[in-house]
Amino acid sequence: MPYKLSQMLDRELKKGSAELLILSLVEDQPRHGYDIGNLIEQRSRGRLRFNVASLYPLLYRLERRGWIQGRWVEKAGQRRRRYYRLTAEGRKVLAAQRHSWQEFVEAINRITGIEHA
Amino acid sequence: MPDWKEEVRRRLSRLNLEPAHEAEIVEELAQHLDDVYERSLKTGATEADAKRAALKEVADTDVMQREMRRSQKPAQEPPVAGGGRTDLLLDFLNDLRYAVRLQRKNPGFTIVAVIALALGIGANTAIFSVVNTVLLNPLPYKEPERLVLAWEENAKQGYPQDTPTAANFIDWRNQNQVFEGMAAFTPTSFNLTGSGDPERLIGRRVSASLFPLLGVDPRLGRVFTAEEDQPNSERVVLLSYRLWQRRFGGDAGIVGKTLTLDGKGYRVVGVMPSRFQFPTVFDDVWVPIAFSPREAANRDAHFLQVLARLKPGVTLTQAQADMSTIATRLQQQYPETNTGLGAVITPLHEHLVGDIKPALLILLGAVGMVLLIACANVANLLLARAAVRQKEIAVRVALGARRGRLIRQFLTESVLLSLFGGLVGLAIAYGGLAILKSFIPDNISQGRTISIDYKVLGFTLLVSLATGLIFGFAPAIQSVRFNQNETLKEGGRDAATGGSGKRLRGLLVVAEVAISLVLLIGAGLLINSFLRVRNIDPGFRTENLLTMRIILPSPKYDTLESKSVFYTDLVNRVQSLPGVRSAAVITNLPLYAQGNSIGVGIEGKPAPPAGQEPIVITRIISPGYFDTMSIPLLKGRQLTDHDTNKTPNVIVISETMAHRFWPGEEAVGKRVSLGPIEKAEDWFNVIGIVKDVHQYGLTAELQPQMYLTYRQTDFFEPRDLVVKTDVDPKSLASAVRKAVWEIDKDQPVSNIRTMEEILGASIARERFSMLLLAIFASVALVLAAVGIYGVMSYSVAQRTHEIGIRMALGAQTSAVLKLAVGYGFKLVVIGIAIGLIAALALTRVMSTLLFGVTPTDPMTFTLISLLLVAVAAIASYIPARRATRVNPIIALRYE
Repeated sequence: MPYKLSQMLDRELKKGSAELLILSLVEDQPRHGYDIGNLIEQRSRGRLRFNVASLYPLLYRLERRGWIQGRWVEKAGQRRRRYYRLTAEGRKVLAAQRHSWQEFVEAINRITGIEHA
Repeated sequence: MPDWKEEVRRRLSRLNLEPAHEAEIVEELAQHLDDVYERSLKTGATEADAKRAALKEVADTDVMQREMRRSQKPAQEPPVAGGGRTDLLLDFLNDLRYAVRLQRKNPGFTIVAVIALALGIGANTAIFSVVNTVLLNPLPYKEPERLVLAWEENAKQGYPQDTPTAANFIDWRNQNQVFEGMAAFTPTSFNLTGSGDPERLIGRRVSASLFPLLGVDPRLGRVFTAEEDQPNSERVVLLSYRLWQRRFGGDAGIVGKTLTLDGKGYRVVGVMPSRFQFPTVFDDVWVPIAFSPREAANRDAHFLQVLARLKPGVTLTQAQADMSTIATRLQQQYPETNTGLGAVITPLHEHLVGDIKPALLILLGAVGMVLLIACANVANLLLARAAVRQKEIAVRVALGARRGRLIRQFLTESVLLSLFGGLVGLAIAYGGLAILKSFIPDNISQGRTISIDYKVLGFTLLVSLATGLIFGFAPAIQSVRFNQNETLKEGGRDAATGGSGKRLRGLLVVAEVAISLVLLIGAGLLINSFLRVRNIDPGFRTENLLTMRIILPSPKYDTLESKSVFYTDLVNRVQSLPGVRSAAVITNLPLYAQGNSIGVGIEGKPAPPAGQEPIVITRIISPGYFDTMSIPLLKGRQLTDHDTNKTPNVIVISETMAHRFWPGEEAVGKRVSLGPIEKAEDWFNVIGIVKDVHQYGLTAELQPQMYLTYRQTDFFEPRDLVVKTDVDPKSLASAVRKAVWEIDKDQPVSNIRTMEEILGASIARERFSMLLLAIFASVALVLAAVGIYGVMSYSVAQRTHEIGIRMALGAQTSAVLKLAVGYGFKLVVIGIAIGLIAALALTRVMSTLLFGVTPTDPMTFTLISLLLVAVAAIASYIPARRATRVNPIIALRYE
């Protein structure tokens, strides 16, 4: 992928998909912010990166909407950390967003011919 | 290690977060920076590089502050997206907030909907408050459901409920097994003189047992004792609260004082409470009835009303049976007076509510229909809006909103709308009630106490809630019952245009047309009937007539002579006033629904069995009466000033009397007896025949009538003065009153009214129901027209594209017009068909309100249907014509 497109993806898609990404990552198990940021970076092989300045406001917003819930957890020998888990409501939103996203990607693919390339 | 917390705190300081909350965020973010720092060190970075890497995370301070601020704000989206947790109250509050915002965003829609609902709910509230007071509120007496009135029944003579004689009443009271007690009462009136202007007081002679029977205690003093109800006992009087306040300024020492009534002293024994009224609010004094021995033995004078209280557990049927038994026994005992005389009892409430009950129930039904039409209109509006909102709903459903949850939100919106409509409706009802009260006939005594009480408020609230649910439900169901993917793909085009949405709207229009047709036909029938009543010739000219009541007190004017002098003087004085053409006195003016009748014998005809003489409406007049009233003389001559007690007795009779008593014969010159004939002078000679006059109301059947001069008889005393004027009759009222006071400064004058007013009052009931139903039907018609117009505009707007293509392909304007109007017209025709069938079935309940018109009057049915067709045609033509004016190019580009 050319550099320019990668940069654009990073900017535009990140904005639209950030919620979906976060919800997906806490779907199976509760995670703390650093963990979430790391996983996004790792799994996107460095293409997507959230810094503290943008990640946490987003977490707080999702929490306020009731889609995720944060809770301080203390483990032996560690400082306490704030773990986020998916709520029942968040699970519904995640399903819907996943569905929309898939449709969107399929549509883009059909138009751009990537699927059959 | 650097102090990350300090770094973070500095960057968040401008947000002014709540300290505890800020501490949490600082801790969490600092930890993250710490993690980044640690990782950098592990991967071999220098401390300075690691620190730089960590700080880079929060380098974009502006973005972080903006995002943080946004994240702290409450959720902007309506919470229906989730729908998982069911915190009902929270959901409701959120829905409410959203609904309020939505209404504020569409003020046009909101105003139209609220006006329609307010009209419907307001009409319902107003009529219900009347029904509540008149029909539902218990009478202000103890256990009022056990109170009944007892009547003589003389249906053969045309009196199904006649006023009993004193002797019959006493026998009933002594012989019955079913009543706790019985009390008689009869109207009376007194001239109150002494302090202040002389005044005519309305009152009743009552049995002492009346007040205990009603179960009402006086406010001051006591009620009558049994001793006071005996002849020749001390004269005592009870006052109404109203009179006590008005005339005596609420004097606490009134009890024991003496009033001068008709020139005699009456000692005040008590004052009744302010809410007390019996039988009407007009009654101001009560005196003991104290039958004289002659009265108590009389079975000829039918003048009493009788109240009775059923013993506990006794039913109306049982009481009726007992009374019938007694009546049969009295028939055998007194054949000469009681032949054919039965007894009948009726609940007191029925009597007081009178014949306004069917009218009120019909009006209540009518306003219910108006509300249904308003509901249909608002439902249509909501359907149209729901179509516009399909996209919004589709997105919500895609995001996981459950349909039940969505419906709940829609209903919150519609109920909010209807509650608002209810509030405005309450204001309309409040204003309308003031007008309504002035239409309520005077004889409905509770009419004056009608108000909006908590029961009415509860009713309004209930109706508003129900209304919101009714008109909101269909659109709510409709709007969530669509294919979500279709809507999303269509880019928000209207899902309600095709299929079930269109059908539902069509159905609503059909219903509106059908209901308004029923209402219009009902109103049409009443208007038709009212016009017929108005067109009845009362038998005299009503214009330029001033009337007033002048009742001569008995000790002062005891002889025929003294009365004659007064009446002659009065008529002469009044006739000499400027602006007066003529004046006369009479016992009872026509249309007052009261007066006297006498059983007569006809010379040369066999006397009928005792008690069954033909009854003739009898009026004692001064000779100028026929001229003053413009009653045409058909034959013979009038009464004149030369007919006196020194000349032969004469009468003038009505056409009906002449036809009925001397069919095919010349009535003038015949003689009738008004009592036992002992000498030739006792006969009354018929000297003239006048046109019939409607004595007891315009719609009452004409009965035989006769007129006697006050100079020859004093069976009854004239008490009404009637003056024919050349100028506005009301302008002479004070001059006439002054003329009365010139003769006798203590003589009260009351009931100053024009004849037009008396005529108006006599048809008040008809006018009341006619006007109200006409108003409601007009509201219904307007609402239905708006409904049709709305649906047509919408359907035409949806078809603009199609119409454009047709026009582009060369379709004629008329063809397009036909296409567009055709749909609306089809709906209207179906609606009218259904409405006609419903009207045929429903107008039957109105038959008691109609006069001279059948409930299925074909003329009314046809005219009203045509009216509705015309209105509907206009309502669908306007939007259709707009469609034909569309430029095809623009229409095609409309997509």
